Amino acid sequence: MKKIILLAAAAILGFSSCEDFLDSQDYTGKNSTNFPSTNEDVDKMVAAVYKSCFYGPFQGNNLEQYFSVANIMSDDMFGGAGLGDPWWQALDKLMYAQTNQMQDLWTYAYETIARANAALGVIDNIADEETRKQTKGELLFMRAYSYYYLVLAFNNVPFIEKAPETVAEAQTAPKQVEGKEIFKHIADDLYEATSIMPSYKYDGWQKLAFGKVSRWAAEAFLGRAFLFYTGFYGEATWPKTDGTAIDRDYVAKALKDCIDNSGHDLLSDYRSLWAYSNPYTAKDYDYVTDMIEKGTCYQEGNKEVLLAINFQYQSAWSAQLHLTNQYGLFFGIRCDGNNQDDDRYHVGTDTSVYPFSTGWGCGTVATNLVNDWQRIEPDDPRREASILDMSKTKLDPGTFSDAVELTMYHQKKITSVRSSGGTKYSWSIDAMGSDGNGNYQASNCTPLTIYRFADVLLMYSEIEKDGTSLNRVRARVGLPAVDYTDEALRNERRWELAFEGSRWDDLRRWGIAADALSKQNGQVMYNQGQKVSMSFNNYAARYNATKGFYRIPKSQIDLSGGEYKQNAGWEDDAANQFAGY
Amino acid sequence: MLNFKLLEKPLVLLFLFCLFPLGTLAQNVVRGTVIDEAGEPVIGASIQVQGAKTGAVTDFNGRFNVAANSDATLTISYVGFVTETVKVQGRNDLKITIHEDVTTLNDVVVIGYGVQKKKLVTGSTVQVKGDDIAKLSTTDAFTALQGQTPGVTILQNSGQAGEGYKVNIRGIGTTGNSDPLYVIDGVAGGSLNDLNPSDIETIDVLKDAASAAIYGARAANGVILITTRQGKAGKLQVNYDGYLGWQYLAKSPDVLDAQEYVYSRKLREFNGGAAVPEWEAKLPAEIYQKLQDGWTGTDWLDASYHKGAMTQNHSVSMFGGNDVSKFNMGVAYTKQDGILGGETQSQFERYNIRLNSSHAILRSKNKDFDVITLGENLNVNRRIRSGISQSNMYWNNVHDLLNANPLLPVYDENGNYYTNKEMAEHGWTLGSAVNPMAIAATTSQGLNESNNWNVNISGYLEIQPIKNLIFKSQFGYRFGSNSYRAMTRIHASGTNVADQDNASQQLNMWSRITFENTLTYTFDINKHNINVVAGQSIEKNGYGENLNASGNNLLFGDSWEHAYVSNAQIKKLADVSVSGTPSADNSLSSWFGRVSYNYDEKYMVQATLRADGSSNFARGHRWGVFPSASVGWVITNEKFMEKTSSWLDFFKIRASWGQNGNCNIPNFNYLTQVGFSTANSYFFGVGNHEEPTTGGSFNILGNPDLTWETSEQIDLGVDARFLGGRLGLAFDWYKKTTKDWLVSAPILGVYGIGAPYINGGDVENKGVEVAVSWNDHIGKDFRYGASVNLATNKNEVTKLANSEGIIHGPGAVWHQLEGEIYRAQVGQPIGFFYGYKTAGVFQNGQQIAEFSQRCEDKVHGGNDNLRPGDLIFVDTNGDGSIDDNDRTFIGDPHPDVTLGVNINLSYKGFDLSATGNGAFGHEILRTWANQDFLEQNLNKKIVYGSWKGEGTSNKLPIFDGFDTPNWKNMSSAMLENGDYFRIANITFGYDFKNIWKSSPLQQMRLYVAVNNLYTFTGYTGMDPEVGSDGGSGSAWAAGIDTGLYPYPRTYLVGVNLKF
Repeated sequence: MKKIILLAAAAILGFSSCEDFLDSQDYTGKNSTNFPSTNEDVDKMVAAVYKSCFYGPFQGNNLEQYFSVANIMSDDMFGGAGLGDPWWQALDKLMYAQTNQMQDLWTYAYETIARANAALGVIDNIADEETRKQTKGELLFMRAYSYYYLVLAFNNVPFIEKAPETVAEAQTAPKQVEGKEIFKHIADDLYEATSIMPSYKYDGWQKLAFGKVSRWAAEAFLGRAFLFYTGFYGEATWPKTDGTAIDRDYVAKALKDCIDNSGHDLLSDYRSLWAYSNPYTAKDYDYVTDMIEKGTCYQEGNKEVLLAINFQYQSAWSAQLHLTNQYGLFFGIRCDGNNQDDDRYHVGTDTSVYPFSTGWGCGTVATNLVNDWQRIEPDDPRREASILDMSKTKLDPGTFSDAVELTMYHQKKITSVRSSGGTKYSWSIDAMGSDGNGNYQASNCTPLTIYRFADVLLMYSEIEKDGTSLNRVRARVGLPAVDYTDEALRNERRWELAFEGSRWDDLRRWGIAADALSKQNGQVMYNQGQKVSMSFNNYAARYNATKGFYRIPKSQIDLSGGEYKQNAGWEDDAANQFAGY
Repeated sequence: MLNFKLLEKPLVLLFLFCLFPLGTLAQNVVRGTVIDEAGEPVIGASIQVQGAKTGAVTDFNGRFNVAANSDATLTISYVGFVTETVKVQGRNDLKITIHEDVTTLNDVVVIGYGVQKKKLVTGSTVQVKGDDIAKLSTTDAFTALQGQTPGVTILQNSGQAGEGYKVNIRGIGTTGNSDPLYVIDGVAGGSLNDLNPSDIETIDVLKDAASAAIYGARAANGVILITTRQGKAGKLQVNYDGYLGWQYLAKSPDVLDAQEYVYSRKLREFNGGAAVPEWEAKLPAEIYQKLQDGWTGTDWLDASYHKGAMTQNHSVSMFGGNDVSKFNMGVAYTKQDGILGGETQSQFERYNIRLNSSHAILRSKNKDFDVITLGENLNVNRRIRSGISQSNMYWNNVHDLLNANPLLPVYDENGNYYTNKEMAEHGWTLGSAVNPMAIAATTSQGLNESNNWNVNISGYLEIQPIKNLIFKSQFGYRFGSNSYRAMTRIHASGTNVADQDNASQQLNMWSRITFENTLTYTFDINKHNINVVAGQSIEKNGYGENLNASGNNLLFGDSWEHAYVSNAQIKKLADVSVSGTPSADNSLSSWFGRVSYNYDEKYMVQATLRADGSSNFARGHRWGVFPSASVGWVITNEKFMEKTSSWLDFFKIRASWGQNGNCNIPNFNYLTQVGFSTANSYFFGVGNHEEPTTGGSFNILGNPDLTWETSEQIDLGVDARFLGGRLGLAFDWYKKTTKDWLVSAPILGVYGIGAPYINGGDVENKGVEVAVSWNDHIGKDFRYGASVNLATNKNEVTKLANSEGIIHGPGAVWHQLEGEIYRAQVGQPIGFFYGYKTAGVFQNGQQIAEFSQRCEDKVHGGNDNLRPGDLIFVDTNGDGSIDDNDRTFIGDPHPDVTLGVNINLSYKGFDLSATGNGAFGHEILRTWANQDFLEQNLNKKIVYGSWKGEGTSNKLPIFDGFDTPNWKNMSSAMLENGDYFRIANITFGYDFKNIWKSSPLQQMRLYVAVNNLYTFTGYTGMDPEVGSDGGSGSAWAAGIDTGLYPYPRTYLVGVNLKF
């Protein structure tokens, strides 16, 4: 009996070293105790910064990326899309439809900043100096890029230096900083990036992988940001935090560096820039069939592209659509109902819009753009290269049964492009050598251009007030040279860079936004097939009230416990809410 | 439990008598047999001679010999039976019939690590007998428990067989997992779904903190103890129970037919909504013609319906044993065909095997107790399930069936599903029409099968070195394996298009070990009865692995039988995906002790202390200590109560206080975690769209201070019996406060990192529970009984530690455009419905004019837009403007009151029983009218019950379409009252043993029954029992009907045979 008691006691006491028993190990994840521990970990951290900087929110109804937002808010596009998508239509009118509209833009920008901060904190783990400088430049670029569009979208935003260390810290709202102050940090980052990044001459993206931020992309961004800062705030130089400033000469030198040393250049044919001229599509698309023989078809990563977002190819719908090119879907031509196999998407029908593919119909082209362009530069071939005129087909606006702000003009640059006569939902399916017809929501992986060489030429012209490089851009499309004037430059940017996300910033920095936006009012459009006109006479008023800064998402103001103040022009929620058509 | 002390001396004496069979002097040996009402011998009944120290125990034939004088008086007692007193009066070979104690006062209930007489229980527990569960002929025990356990809310997630239940004891206390802890045969962490109802001996629910405290860890949501059937000494008995049933749709969904649909579009246009489509141009000619000829269109639910789908259950059990070894074993088979699913009809099958046995290895010298006992409980089950999708509105086949367009045919003339391809060929341009039958038949929404294997085994060793000091060591092992297979065919149905087929397979296996050692000592000092338990327990989870794979382009194309990943012809990396992970690893270590004391069964005190360590927290924050105490007083045992004894048999008041813990969160949240996933990757390189560079980033901020969530509860209760035990009453009042709620509350976006788990809130649940029962008989043969129970609960979040005091629900749950419709917020119940409050419908212009004097309705785009028929939104913040800021509490998905009713009658061999349950005071949101699309079907009530002119409706607004401010904003007009009372079961049976007495069988009962006979409710959906969160992924939300698989009405015929 005693033995049994002893055994029992042993059994109990055997488990007294509980703490060890309660330690557990994570076999598939890492955490702050063991990450980052290798060079590879740092690479992974950098990839994660790219992801949050450039990909949209997962399955966001709204694709809250600055590129989309800036396009819609400009005078060249309406909101478009469907009855059920007031988000887009509100954006065009500087109103809001959803309580937390633009929250994703806010959180993704800050996610990028947090990830970039974390990666910059361990950048010295990279032993090789050149790699370190290149990588550091990429991270500085992406941090600056995120702050840049945070400021342009929301003006007064918090500045985050480092990750919170405790839960209490994470629950405390950091103060809002005036946008102009944030710009000093952007200046710091871009100044450093353009100083340290190695000059990898364009070699077809051999040395530096396509998708990565190069020195030349950083110089282009520097130009954009400098022009915005000096134009919008009416100052000659752009201050940094250390009291010095980036001046006109530094920027001009950087742009010149890009023009002279980058190896990037204009393509000979403007159409070669856009996916519709790809060989799989071109054979059925009369507008570009000539390019097959000339060998000027669209090529990914061509020499004009300074920075592009690269995407994943998916053959079927998946939970990771955000890795694919969703811009092509959102800015695609709206289908009637869900009929993505409608005749209109196939070649050879009298209603054909081939090769442009199905989508949610966002960002219909505002007719004022078409009219201005026709009037000011009637012979410009870029108009047809950029805009599809659906009224030239027998396509009846009445078949867009739930579309609103439909103009029968659609841009050709962002929309996903079909191939094989329209049976393949995206030309990417052919390019990837895939058998099936793919999935119209998932299969477009055409890279989206952020900066290209022509933009740098135009910025250089603007900063130097000299027409030489401007005329280089005009010459490419066979237009005669002009003398430099602000108006000539502004028009040239509008035509050359239409729908490429820069127009909104340009309008604001040139101080012409209120007038330009107002021209959208009264333009003809179709709502649910009915011919109406855009009747919003508050464009100028909304711009003047807000200066183009958007409404800080209510959720963030609530979470800040009242620390964040709403922007000017957005105080009256009810008055600024767009209820939809 | 037998009182060994009581038996000790009689047994010794009996032993001595055997040695001296001639007897001595004045004493005779009295012989007799003890039988029960059914005439069966009672084994182990104790016989005591009054005034003497002699006694005996009945043997396997119910026989006994006891030394007694011929004028002695014998007392016969047996657990669960009324103690009988018999005068010998010189007789020998007595035949004594004892009667079951219907008052249940001597019932024994299972408490943690032991049993206790029900009358001595000081906490709040409720016991349901396995027989009462089995007799309701349900596929699983949860349905049978509904209405029998006041304070326990059991709601089905969906009526599809094999789908889960939402079980809450005394309200929801957390936004995390609020399931109670299940303990099967002493092993924590099982699942009631694993068992066939016939395997269950008893289910004991520990509701208050003091009762649950011995399970301190994870007992915050209450504990459900399940005991499977155990062996009994005696002659071998074999039972067969089986039934066959036929299932039917209990309630029509009342959607529009084609003609009504056409009318609805006219009505919508007339009311200023979207224009009526030009039917002739939009529809294929043949459909248009049929419509002109009066065609009523496709009844989608009917197309999917399997009328009279079979359900069946068979179980065979066998038990028996002797004084050394006892066993109870059973095999059972359940099969339930679904009433919906069309070609992919849902199916459920379950196999169970159970073997419980115990063996006395060593008995004491006097054979009055077992010194060493070995035992085991083994339970093996397999469940096979296939079904149609039941998740959010985008992945819910019933939702699709309910809102599919009635103008769309199921098939074309060639018998193909009418999908996008056929629509295009025939000239269908009405848009947005989806064929849900095709979706089920071509995608994993219908083409799926899951297999579940579970093995639960526990072995125990009991050592009783001295009498009533028991050391028990129990080792439990639970192994589970799930496999899931799904297929997508090449198809084009709506937005859901696949041009490659796909097969996917998942295989998960995991296991858990538990090891417990307890020491129990029971002793009496005069009238002081003391029971002490001390013990230790460890538990480790996670020995296992998960593998998932999926592949495109299948070799055998359409064949479901061949839809395995190995048949995928993989050409590119994107055609295949594979992942493999180990099972999450976590462990728990605990120490506990309990002292129970009573004085003469009159005053009771019980105290418990338990310490738990969980691997989910960092060192230094792992241990939680959970104390509890309870007291009871049986007033009727007091002398001064003797004068009431004529009508008051028993009256006990009890009070308890205690704390329980919860650590149920994903592990490693105390560390800042790094996420690596393909979702976090980027693609570098020209033409590289398939090889990602995986990203790694800090995803969730670690909280090293994270520790136990505590639920504290006070319970005051009364148990009473009146009028000779015929009337029973149990009453409880409780207040449960969950403190330091484990919650992942949203944080500011600016830090760019996911919200940490914090101990961040308090929730309070308060309520009362009343159960009243009446049992009696008229004459000898007619017995009847009825019980009614009622429970109330009021839930309120009292603290939330993030800056805004809100946990937001997700958007796009009700329809794609609407934001959050439920949330958790201080001062409100968890998961309350959030939206605009309405004060009826504007009936006329004058009302609008009056309204405009005080308020501007910006939701309708200004008062100029208001017209009669519009909803009157309420300016809840009184700022003169109706806008987003007026959204507020508009309803609670959790019932205020739940009700259960049970009635039973028996006469000779006939028996009749009925059960019903109901819930009151809650709201339901029906979401299967999907606001996103114009061309969808609707419930008739929306069209015919909406406002048509002054005085027609003051709830539903004018029907002007779903994209209008009236219909697209979440408001109280969109909610429905969820009150219901369901007649859950009626059973009528007859035991043929009554007319065929010579039958070798002991019981030959044949019965017929109806389950889910009728539901009284005003709710317009198919079933008002809506536990679902609408697929929105919040365990704390409920009452969202995205189109739930209806719980069928079942007609059954069954038999119970006892050999």
